[in-house]
Amino acid sequence: MNSRSIVALVALAIAAQPGLAAEIGRVKRSTGIATIERGKAKVPTAPGTQLQTGDVLVTGKDGQIALTFIDDTRFAVGPNSRVALSQFAYDRTRQTGSFLTDVNRGSVAVVSGQIAKSGRDAMKVRTPTALLGVRGTRFIVEAGK
Amino acid sequence: MRALLPIAAMALLGGCATNSLVLLPSEDGGHGAVAVLDGKGGETVVSQPNSRTRLAGRPTTAAYQVKPAEQALLDGLPPKPAQFILYFKEGTTDLTPESQPRLEELLAEVRRRPGVEAQVTGYTDTLGSDDDNDRLSQRRAEEVLEVLAAQGIDTGLLTAVGRGERSLLVKTGDGVREPANRRVEVIVR
Repeated sequence: MNSRSIVALVALAIAAQPGLAAEIGRVKRSTGIATIERGKAKVPTAPGTQLQTGDVLVTGKDGQIALTFIDDTRFAVGPNSRVALSQFAYDRTRQTGSFLTDVNRGSVAVVSGQIAKSGRDAMKVRTPTALLGVRGTRFIVEAGK
Repeated sequence: MRALLPIAAMALLGGCATNSLVLLPSEDGGHGAVAVLDGKGGETVVSQPNSRTRLAGRPTTAAYQVKPAEQALLDGLPPKPAQFILYFKEGTTDLTPESQPRLEELLAEVRRRPGVEAQVTGYTDTLGSDDDNDRLSQRRAEEVLEVLAAQGIDTGLLTAVGRGERSLLVKTGDGVREPANRRVEVIVR
């Protein structure tokens, strides 16, 4: 690849950032039955799959999805889960933002990143029965019926 | 018999049927906290590592040891992002000889991680004009990107940004030569 096309790619990557469908994170690994619901579409999960705000991570009996976010937050979504990335905003330069995850069903292990550090309860996790303000750093949330 | 029913129901749901929070020690050995918010400005702060808090009704916390399924989930977390700092010769996009081995380590790390992404940010010291330094910092970032691309790394996974003389690693006045500030920082996730 020549340097001109790299410059073009870089310009594209920068231009794409403020867009509505901006990348907020990536799938690093997925096992078993695991899909991303994006509106009406079902996106298969594979290492490198890009995540967007509003995506819902859904796993089956033996499913697990590992992902990282652009603020360095990390998730492992467990089996029989339904986890929605409901709100996500992050300013890379200032390292501040806000993040709301809905754990509707199942389990998710979390290591929080820059957003949780950037302000009190800037990162929240909601379950059917509770709202959590994340102050750091490693925890598991389980949601039953 | 009646007493057995709830236990049987829990077993059917895989033993994690309750809404709960398990707080663990941080990876660096410290410990954090999670607040259970009541939506009316009140909160219950959970800060005891290795504890489990029930999230239905009033939060109650007890000491807890993770079960195998929970351990499997923790083991499934992606590795911590790695940071690399590469230094450059004054006014150039040439790496210092000392940074060459670090570049090799960066390449190895990028290859090791499935679904990798690398965020490449270039910086300069305060010698020269702001505009020149913005351009130089961008070129430094692109130089690193080019090296990664030459190794077969898909550049769609990489971003390069130049931040000029903003965000100095070593604080100096304007017009100061400072090797520590002539750098590219790479975060590999």
